[in-house]
Amino acid sequence: MSAPLRVVHLDLSQPLKEIPENERGMFCVLWWRDLPLGQIEIQREQLPMYLPELANRIAQAITPAIGNRLFKTGFLAQLPTNWRSQFATGEPAELTEILKTENPLCRLGENFETPGRSVSVVVCTRDRGESLRRCLRSLMKLSPAPNEIVVVDNAPQTDETHDVAGEFPNVRYLREPRAGLDIARNAGVKNSRSDIVAFADDDVEVHPAWIAKLRAVFADDDIMAVTGLVLPAEIETEAQYLFENYWGFNRGYRAKIFDRAWFERELPRGVPADQIGAGANMAFRRKIFEHIGGFDERLDVGAAGCSGDSEFWYRILAHGWKCRYEPSAVVFHHHRRAMENLDRQIFFYMRGHVTALLVQFEKFRHFGNLRRLLLTLPRYYIESLTGSLLKPEKRRTLWAQIAGHFSGIRFYFENR
Amino acid sequence: MAYKICDIEISEPLPVVELSENESGIAVLVRRENRPIWFWMESLAPGSTISPDELALRISAKAGAKLLNDSIREELLDGFSETKFPSLTIAICTKDRPERLARCLDSLPRNVHEILVIDNAPSDDRTRELIAANPHVGYIREPKPGLDFARNRALREATGELLAFIDDDVAVDREWLPGLIEAHRENPDAAAFTGLILPLELSTEAQVLFEQLGGFRGGAENGFEKIRWGKILPGYAQYPCDAGIFGAGANMVFRRDVLLALGGFDDALDTGAPLPGGGDLDIFYRIIRAGHAIAYEPRMLVFHEHRRELYALRKQYWSWGIGFMAFAAKSLAEKSQRKKWTRHLSWWFVKYQPKQLAKSLLGRAAPRADMVLAEIFGAFDGLLGGYARSQRRIERIRREFA
Repeated sequence: MSAPLRVVHLDLSQPLKEIPENERGMFCVLWWRDLPLGQIEIQREQLPMYLPELANRIAQAITPAIGNRLFKTGFLAQLPTNWRSQFATGEPAELTEILKTENPLCRLGENFETPGRSVSVVVCTRDRGESLRRCLRSLMKLSPAPNEIVVVDNAPQTDETHDVAGEFPNVRYLREPRAGLDIARNAGVKNSRSDIVAFADDDVEVHPAWIAKLRAVFADDDIMAVTGLVLPAEIETEAQYLFENYWGFNRGYRAKIFDRAWFERELPRGVPADQIGAGANMAFRRKIFEHIGGFDERLDVGAAGCSGDSEFWYRILAHGWKCRYEPSAVVFHHHRRAMENLDRQIFFYMRGHVTALLVQFEKFRHFGNLRRLLLTLPRYYIESLTGSLLKPEKRRTLWAQIAGHFSGIRFYFENR
Repeated sequence: MAYKICDIEISEPLPVVELSENESGIAVLVRRENRPIWFWMESLAPGSTISPDELALRISAKAGAKLLNDSIREELLDGFSETKFPSLTIAICTKDRPERLARCLDSLPRNVHEILVIDNAPSDDRTRELIAANPHVGYIREPKPGLDFARNRALREATGELLAFIDDDVAVDREWLPGLIEAHRENPDAAAFTGLILPLELSTEAQVLFEQLGGFRGGAENGFEKIRWGKILPGYAQYPCDAGIFGAGANMVFRRDVLLALGGFDDALDTGAPLPGGGDLDIFYRIIRAGHAIAYEPRMLVFHEHRRELYALRKQYWSWGIGFMAFAAKSLAEKSQRKKWTRHLSWWFVKYQPKQLAKSLLGRAAPRADMVLAEIFGAFDGLLGGYARSQRRIERIRREFA
């Protein structure tokens, strides 16, 4: 086990220094100013790490993201796929272009700010005052600031959320008595006003440039949804380490565009819409809610367990619009600390995912969803089970997943 | 079957590559300002031509990320300080192969502290005569037959702070010494340095087959990634119980004081015909176990003349099997590492080699089945008493020459 790890943020625009010995290993996020470029994990036994080796590791980790930002072709990210083989990502970059690129980091350039679109931030929460306070504190540091911040208090048992929201100026408190995250999200959409609605979970802290980066990506009119990078705020326990490595929300350091072509390519095997991003860090153009409705209230916490976000992205794509993953829009997520919580969380992930497959099938009759439900996932369970004979860690959350699978099917038929 | 080897400098206009009628592919070494950047092989129709534009496209597709990676690394290390490069002895252990030795000597850099040739139990005077004609090279005769006897002799005779061992069947690239200097500057504390080994020629089926499977390019990124091997390798529990991950005996450099402190090479490994191999694996392993670092540097490039005939290649696979397992059997004796070794060896016998065999029978990329079998036979030989037999044998040799 490799936890706990210190989560360290390294800005490469500052001179690089060797890393001295330490009793803990580190999870090191690599930045160029406010642009995240990659990450490396360094274990305690590898310390001290001298400059040349550190530079090797860093260069390797950030090359794809830098290539992706500097060249039009050649460094595109693989889009997630449920096919067994990867797809080609097109032409390589011009050799002459690569050869004349000296000091690639310095050329990453400045961010282009595109003002004009207003942004509402919606935070859905329920009886988690401390978490919410931390989240709102980070929202206060946003630059530029959003046009409004709405806290949706979902079927609360106490007045804690109300009181915490009151501690901050410019935070609008909204109470949604019907329990369910997607119900709360829909309420947030209805009661906010801006062109763009950005959602942050109550267990995240946002990067100060979060809004600036999210907003810039909406320049393309076909893009209806943007997701961003979710980094671990801390890796203090084994549960957090496992979550980050096997279940984390990190979708990489290169931008991805999910369009009709990708959607159709993936249809036969079931579109991996959950790989587009994470609900902890996502934004939408307001008008998409008028076109295709709101979040499906059968999914997510309070109902099936999760996947309200991915089902919504699925719907956006199925109607021919685009989604985009933009890694420079960063939030920091506090993973659950305890192992029991992890099992429970994974049970609900699978339950929500399975329900979403059935909901997606119900709405569009795309048979790939059934294929995934009845063939791909069971095959994956069997493979994990046989694989676990040699590597018991593979079995760790398997029972929770299988239980979640069946529970999801039951949930769908009970709530049709 | 022969492949054309193209040594291409991308800072200059790219050439047109033309294959003759008896060449069925190309092997391309890409350099940027002399520094080796990438290598790949590709089968092509005999007589075909590749235009500079097509070549540029291929280089960009294969080595584009590596080129960018290097520029980023350079930017990150901007202003990294220099250290003094210590004195260097280059030692070549040889036996009855003066033509190859002459080629090797010609390729060596001249501006080093000393060059020694260890003539190991020669059957004639040809090597001595060759060295007589090369006054900058020192000649030492080691009568005890066995490569590690010769290596240990070099260790005793050398006067440089660094001691390089170069096989007589390689030619050293012009970037080798700059590469070693760079590796030393970046890892002044490392006890050993190993480098990239590429083919000197690809003119027979055996040579092409061997290089197609990666040849000696063991490391990550096709062998073009700098690696610093330390105490652990994240994600690899058996580390350092493995064969060949650190480098190969054809191209290795040591801090002489560390080698002396470790007692030099194990004479019972690499004893010529009965047990040809394992000495390099063993010394790398002991260096790592002693807590030192090993730096792998792709710029430290040499070209190796691969076995020309299939039977010779088969014999080489056999020797890797026996050498590895003799070394493993020796290392197993140490209790603290036994669990790791048992895991690694079970994997090797039960999963890795059967998989190789299955792949080669199915016609996928793997050594030919006879090569795999040769390695497995060698492995059993090595594991079942090979090391103990060899120890008895070298005891006899020691007494004989005492």
